[in-house]
Amino acid sequence: MQTGFDFTVIWTNITYFFIGRFPHGPLGGIALTLYLAIVACVLSFIGGLFLGLMGISHNKIVRNLSTVILNIIRGMPLLMVIFWMYFFLPALMGKVVSESWTVIMALTLFTSAYMSQIVKAGVEGIPRGQTEAALSTGLHPWQAMFYIVLPQGLRNMIPSFVNQFVSMIKDTSLAFIVGVSELTHVATQINNRTIIYPTEIFLFVAVIYFIICYAFTSLSRWLEKRLAWKK
Amino acid sequence: MKRFVVVFMAVMFVVGLCGTLAAQDRLDAIKKRGALIAGVKDSTPGFGYVDEKTREIVGYDVDFVRTIANKLGVKLELKPVTSASRMPQLIEGNIDIIAATMTKTAERAKQIDFSYTYFFTGQKFIVRKGTVKGLADLDGKRIGTAKGSTSEQNAAKALPKATILSFDDYPQALLALQQGKVFAITTDESILANLLSKAPNKDQYEIPDIQISDEPYGLGIKKGEKGLLDFVNKTLLEMEKSGEAKKIFDKWFGPNSPTPLKRGSFKITANK
Repeated sequence: MQTGFDFTVIWTNITYFFIGRFPHGPLGGIALTLYLAIVACVLSFIGGLFLGLMGISHNKIVRNLSTVILNIIRGMPLLMVIFWMYFFLPALMGKVVSESWTVIMALTLFTSAYMSQIVKAGVEGIPRGQTEAALSTGLHPWQAMFYIVLPQGLRNMIPSFVNQFVSMIKDTSLAFIVGVSELTHVATQINNRTIIYPTEIFLFVAVIYFIICYAFTSLSRWLEKRLAWKK
Repeated sequence: MKRFVVVFMAVMFVVGLCGTLAAQDRLDAIKKRGALIAGVKDSTPGFGYVDEKTREIVGYDVDFVRTIANKLGVKLELKPVTSASRMPQLIEGNIDIIAATMTKTAERAKQIDFSYTYFFTGQKFIVRKGTVKGLADLDGKRIGTAKGSTSEQNAAKALPKATILSFDDYPQALLALQQGKVFAITTDESILANLLSKAPNKDQYEIPDIQISDEPYGLGIKKGEKGLLDFVNKTLLEMEKSGEAKKIFDKWFGPNSPTPLKRGSFKITANK
């Protein structure tokens, strides 16, 4: 440690960093982090849309239900949600749920709650006249929402979505609590074995997280531009 | 009267039979499934950790459950667990057996059953060479250990005047020792020996012969699974008799291993 950095520890363990014990064991490392993030992103986009639309429903029961769900989830730390899912999901489903899916479900639930507020704000930000015009052409309220209001609203929501997704990518690191061997967990394992290279290992991990997040924001900036141009 | 005795015997026989049938459920389930699912540590060098080259989980704990699986004639499936998740996983039935450096304690024995002791160690200290002669030299000092371990509680009991600092893991504790933030690190000797072997200036440190607690490790089995427990205990005794237990010890902790420990007079026996 006194002799400066020694990054050979990264190269000797590089395969483990990327894919974990795969193919002889479960997938791990960076690949698992990406898998968790991508699946949870897709699911929480759907979940957030659903919960957000529930929040602006004209039906009072549906609206209140969405508020209750939102407040329960927002009032808990993510770590608690993961731990909760870990013990609750098997009891609910009556069978063994893999740790990866426990984490995906927890991340989805947690992120959906935050996304629903973005959806709500995005939809409410579209002038009332748009809906009125759509309805006056004879569209059903659902059609007005999905063909007129949402497409415009979603465009405005993109920056907030990106924010939420980036923070979720980093939240996958909490999966270590239930023994899912994503990037942070893999790094801890290697650190426990080699003991004297914590700086090198966690510097590498930080760089990887940055690259993943930066790549994601770049992609969405490109997407945003494309959609804006179409508009 | 005779008739009563016969009926009584018959009832007892049926009850007894049902009892054994129910008790052997897990063992049968393992055989039927063709795999023993064992919960092991995946970041504890020597006991259960990922090998750098093969990327497989290996170690002392793994070799023990592998032998048990072989004796059963089934495959071994490893599932990584942490200190926090191992007992819930076993009770939920997600794993058949825990082999994860678990100290047998009376408190834990209320929730799960333990096999005979398969590894024996004690809690000791790493200090700078020549600074500690007896336990008294440590009292009132700053002592580092890991969060949530039994080591934390034992240290507080043995050294009431010392300040116990709990770190997230042992590499951090070692760093604190090197930077002079703590006077000593304390935990199971098996872990300390590994820490010391990796320290860059290891000749400046030592593990003095001061032990503050016994740490017998046992394999964990769900309560009431008598069939499986008996089979595991029987296998452990056989392994001791055939010399296999000693061979596994020497493989991971023998004189030629990176973390030499003394097995001393320890033998697997039919203890509680």
